[in-house]
Amino acid sequence: MTAYSFEWSAVLRGLPYLLEGAGLTILISGVAMVLALVLGLALAAISQASGRLARSVVAAYVEIFRNTPLLIQIFIVYFGLPQLGLKLSPFLSGLSALVLYAAAYNTEIFRAGLEAVPHGQFEAARSAGLSERQMLRYVIVPQAVRISFPALGNNLVSLVKNSSLVSTIGMVELMFVANDISFNNFRTFEIYGAAAAMYVVIVLALTRLLHAAEGRLLRAPA
Amino acid sequence: MNLAVVVETLPYLLRGTLWTVTIAVAVIVVGTAAGVLLGLSRFVPWRGLPTLVGWIVELVRAVPLLLLLFFIFFGLPALGLKIPTFPAAVLAMSLWMAVNTSEVVRGGIQSIPHGQFEAARSIGLNEIQTMTSVIFPQAMRRMIPPFVGLCTILIKDTSLAAIIGVFELTRAAQETIERTFRSFEIYLTAAAIYFVICLPLTRFAQRTEARLGRP
Repeated sequence: MTAYSFEWSAVLRGLPYLLEGAGLTILISGVAMVLALVLGLALAAISQASGRLARSVVAAYVEIFRNTPLLIQIFIVYFGLPQLGLKLSPFLSGLSALVLYAAAYNTEIFRAGLEAVPHGQFEAARSAGLSERQMLRYVIVPQAVRISFPALGNNLVSLVKNSSLVSTIGMVELMFVANDISFNNFRTFEIYGAAAAMYVVIVLALTRLLHAAEGRLLRAPA
Repeated sequence: MNLAVVVETLPYLLRGTLWTVTIAVAVIVVGTAAGVLLGLSRFVPWRGLPTLVGWIVELVRAVPLLLLLFFIFFGLPALGLKIPTFPAAVLAMSLWMAVNTSEVVRGGIQSIPHGQFEAARSIGLNEIQTMTSVIFPQAMRRMIPPFVGLCTILIKDTSLAAIIGVFELTRAAQETIERTFRSFEIYLTAAAIYFVICLPLTRFAQRTEARLGRP
């Protein structure tokens, strides 16, 4: 083993960039999750309310995106679609791939959440004279969201970690910045170590936050 | 779309698939063995060890697999520890598999009602016997769905090995595209191959999970 002198000043010099990358990772994950929540809830509602065809299409989407690697999905959007005439920037490619991937999981989570709402709740809402819309808005969806919350939180944590894959197509975030710095100054050990520490801080803070939110959600009246 | 390209390159992609499966099997063997040990170590009566293992697991689990891989492949050589691409990928993924499996094991054991521990002790079993013949067999049943889910994620994530140049399905697809420039068809074919491997596992996990609800 050769002697290695750590040069933590390399981390110090790279710190502003790494922090900027960490900020972008949080931002990208947040935006992707919001879009994936909207898409997931919409698809779950469609497959619940519509006929067989719509349900099969949603189910196919969920199965295809959950059972193929995110990396390949990112490559198809960024390298494959231009061949069909659809050329997106690294940012848009990465973001849309992350949204589609996370939304597939969210759809399944919401679907299970909707199904877990006891049947009596539907009957009670109808017999109380609520319309279909009111029933979903005030009775079913709030309960489904509460049931789905822990799984959605786990999916968000996965999304933060999975967002590192978009660095491979040149979308700037924490992993990209870490690669960029360490390929220039060759302090790979220190820089990747620092980046790992930042992911740990983000993920642990997020986990604690979700846990606290879950506690409040369970205590809150329906 | 050019289907002739797909037909022509399929044998090469299948050769890559063989390596994808090889990596996955190696990681599942090594990672699961280490993961079960880590998971069980959360229940030993030695002071401090469960907490320490819990911390390490939580830290490693918070780091993206791609970063673990780069840390091992690009970062460790700085310390003089140079690992070739294939073992580096297997090592990084086994580490990932081990910490995640340990959580599955911990969750499975914790889901067993406390009365089972007490009952086992009261009929005179010692701690090891309690674990091996009463708790673990019951917990196993509950560990299977999340464990199979983990294996599915792992198979998909073996694609990350391509980034450091390990030959497997994704790398085979990249090499084929460098030659044919048909990225859409080739990546789609690769996705289809992953799908064919992963879907049965997902279905199996769903079925066993549904069966858990019944006695």
